[in-house]
Amino acid sequence: MIAKIHPQTLRIIALFVALLATILFFSTQIDSYLSPRMFTRISTSAAVILPIAVGQAIVVMTRNIDLSVGSTVGMVAYLTGQFLGLHPDLNPLLVALLAMGIGAFMGAINGVLVSWGRVPSIIVTLGTLALYRSFLVQYSDAKTITTASLPQWIVDLPQANAFSLFGLDVRVTVVLALSAAVAMGLALTRLRAARRFYAVGSNPDAAMMAGINSAMVIFTAFVLSGAFAGLSGLIFLAKFGNITVVAGMGFELKAVAAVVVGGVSILGGSGSMIGVVIGCVLVDTIDNSLTRWELVSEFWRDALLGMLIMAAVTVDTVMSRSLGRLGAKKGAA
Amino acid sequence: MSVLELRNIAKSFAATAALKDMNLAIEPGEIHAIVGENGAGKSTLIKIMTGVHQPDSGEISVDGKVVSVRSTQDAQSLGIAAIYQEPMVFPDLDVAENIFISNRAEGAFMNWKHMYAEAARLIDQLGVTLDVHRAASGLTLAEQQTVEIARALSLNVKVLIMDEPTASLSAHEVARLLNIARALKAKGVAVIYISHRLDEIFQVADRVTVIRDGQHISTKPLAEVTPDGMVKDMVGRAVDTHAVKTAANPHGPSVLRLENLGREGVFRGISFDLSQGEVLCFAGLVGARRTDVGLALFGIAPATEGRILIDGQEVTIRNPQEAMAKSIAYVSEDRRKMGLAMTLPIFANISLASLGKLLGAFGIIDRKAELAMADKYRNQLAIKSADVTTDVGKLSGGNQQKVMLAKWLETKPRILIFDEPTRGVDVGAKAEVHNIIRKLAKEGVAVLVISSDLPEVLALADRVLVMREGKQAGILDIAEASQEKVIGMAAGHEARLPEVIA
Repeated sequence: MIAKIHPQTLRIIALFVALLATILFFSTQIDSYLSPRMFTRISTSAAVILPIAVGQAIVVMTRNIDLSVGSTVGMVAYLTGQFLGLHPDLNPLLVALLAMGIGAFMGAINGVLVSWGRVPSIIVTLGTLALYRSFLVQYSDAKTITTASLPQWIVDLPQANAFSLFGLDVRVTVVLALSAAVAMGLALTRLRAARRFYAVGSNPDAAMMAGINSAMVIFTAFVLSGAFAGLSGLIFLAKFGNITVVAGMGFELKAVAAVVVGGVSILGGSGSMIGVVIGCVLVDTIDNSLTRWELVSEFWRDALLGMLIMAAVTVDTVMSRSLGRLGAKKGAA
Repeated sequence: MSVLELRNIAKSFAATAALKDMNLAIEPGEIHAIVGENGAGKSTLIKIMTGVHQPDSGEISVDGKVVSVRSTQDAQSLGIAAIYQEPMVFPDLDVAENIFISNRAEGAFMNWKHMYAEAARLIDQLGVTLDVHRAASGLTLAEQQTVEIARALSLNVKVLIMDEPTASLSAHEVARLLNIARALKAKGVAVIYISHRLDEIFQVADRVTVIRDGQHISTKPLAEVTPDGMVKDMVGRAVDTHAVKTAANPHGPSVLRLENLGREGVFRGISFDLSQGEVLCFAGLVGARRTDVGLALFGIAPATEGRILIDGQEVTIRNPQEAMAKSIAYVSEDRRKMGLAMTLPIFANISLASLGKLLGAFGIIDRKAELAMADKYRNQLAIKSADVTTDVGKLSGGNQQKVMLAKWLETKPRILIFDEPTRGVDVGAKAEVHNIIRKLAKEGVAVLVISSDLPEVLALADRVLVMREGKQAGILDIAEASQEKVIGMAAGHEARLPEVIA
């Protein structure tokens, strides 16, 4: 009877309720919280994280993790900004492709090391997290990309409105980030090749026996993660204009938080894009609200993110354990 | 023309020759049994046919054409697939997706409706009922195997290798699997059937190939094969395969007494007395919750109702430490998960449960004593290994079982629980394990054996406790127990006796 509702669906509903409760709570704590301005603030901030979270979700589904995304965002933002300074007339679409291409290349390095070097992804990406960042510091020579050097269209991009809904402005960057999630979501349910991400994460041995090229699947996941981090890098560049060597630092924590809160199992094999979107919004809502909440110092933001990750994973393991018990009972009947 | 033919295949790993000059021809639409002791080269043979390993020399041909099988993908596209004792499914995906996950013919886009319909059709062809929308995580082992077979069928398999497919199945499920094998045969698929259970081979096989020491010994039509002859070919000597006990051994005072023991939602109402030197076997179908009684006695999943008495004193057992303190040992059925540390050497596995005895000055382990302890058991139990520093993962199933047994014997248990002591163990080693169990009982240990292998139960038990759906269906004295009686009791009123050839 309970089995009628799929556990994943139940999870999305629970997540949505948690998001509403969070918003409701902060609306009692912070003046003029439920305002169009706050909506814009949170949605544009989430737009930077969402593409990374989308890529991260794919990687986590295959039982891996990509900790290098924060550094990838920084590198892409810096390199793209620098390139735009030199070639301001470049077509925006090509700029996006360039940003995603740089990201994909960095992801491919991770992918090769994990898939064919057989090094655990947590080690590989911890290494490249530091490596990419150091490379950026070295390469930039501590120089900053400034808004002045960028073409006007990218400076205006964060303020550009896609459309308004009930008096709420939905920015172009938000639409861009959402379309990444929607595209990936569609791929995951419609494309046969994309189902292999689930298969490899669900049971690597079975994937091997079923003739699935797991190494290639995992490599692809890292390339996608890099490419999506590249998209985030571009949105980041547009949003902030001034890019220093610390750009994107710590984003891996937010991305992992959004993914696990969004119900992608850290044990691999399951998860949905709708969950990732809600998880991302929830994480960013909490993050942005804390900076405005007078009762708590904003330095607690990272601590709260950390707790959120642990809570989500705990709920995940407890849930799958009790589901397993339920399954065992059914099997016995 | 043979659908699959191996000619002069040889394969060595380092200095060990796993296969030497192996020849085998499989005809379409036949069920071809391959038997041999553990270590005879069956696993290597399967891995060569499925592209996991490449032969050092010799050739493979499919439908008369010489081919090279460099990967499982290659094997698949040639129409060769395998299912194993432990099914390989994706727990997070549903039945239909599990079937079609690697099917390239299905196109780039998911057509869920078409996929569910096709999956249902395939399952139906196998003569089984199974909801194709169910997640694989909730399926029984037998159902998971069905999914794997349907997957192979969807890939237009020509040769399906079944490697010990019934090792974890109940009698009913075995009967169903054998029917599936027959259905495949009727469709013209060649089935290579590998099993330690000779009775199944006599039920289902058309031809039987015996291999020993990496070599082909014989291939004969079933009509020309006798159980004794087959076993003789396998081990190179005669072995008594079906000793049946007819009377209980004399035994001493009661050691263990259970009164209406139960664990909420799992099993209940288990009552018996177990005496020194007595062997009590737990029989029943898979899912009858026999293992759970063992787990409760060892404190892994403690009982929630009823009483446990040891030497007449009521005790509580909440965890394995408490069980061990009461001289209970549990030799688990799952060597890989619960029994052994595969990456550790033999001696470290044996000493693991009794490290306390080996402590020297400053609490440092006395390595010499540890090695001596392990060596003692290596001789006593005839563990086949040059020395005790070999990693357990490199041993055959039977020898791993002996290592696990040694670990628990060293704790000097008074009550010893065996869960499926000979699963995945070859005939020769099986007889040895049985002898060890009998010897232990003679020395006064109270023994509980949980087994799905009925001939084994009848060969070992003084009494047989039959369980059905988490409850005690009855206790039979060995003098009155027979295969038919035990199966009837285990299956209850719905009993349709499967054909059993002992």
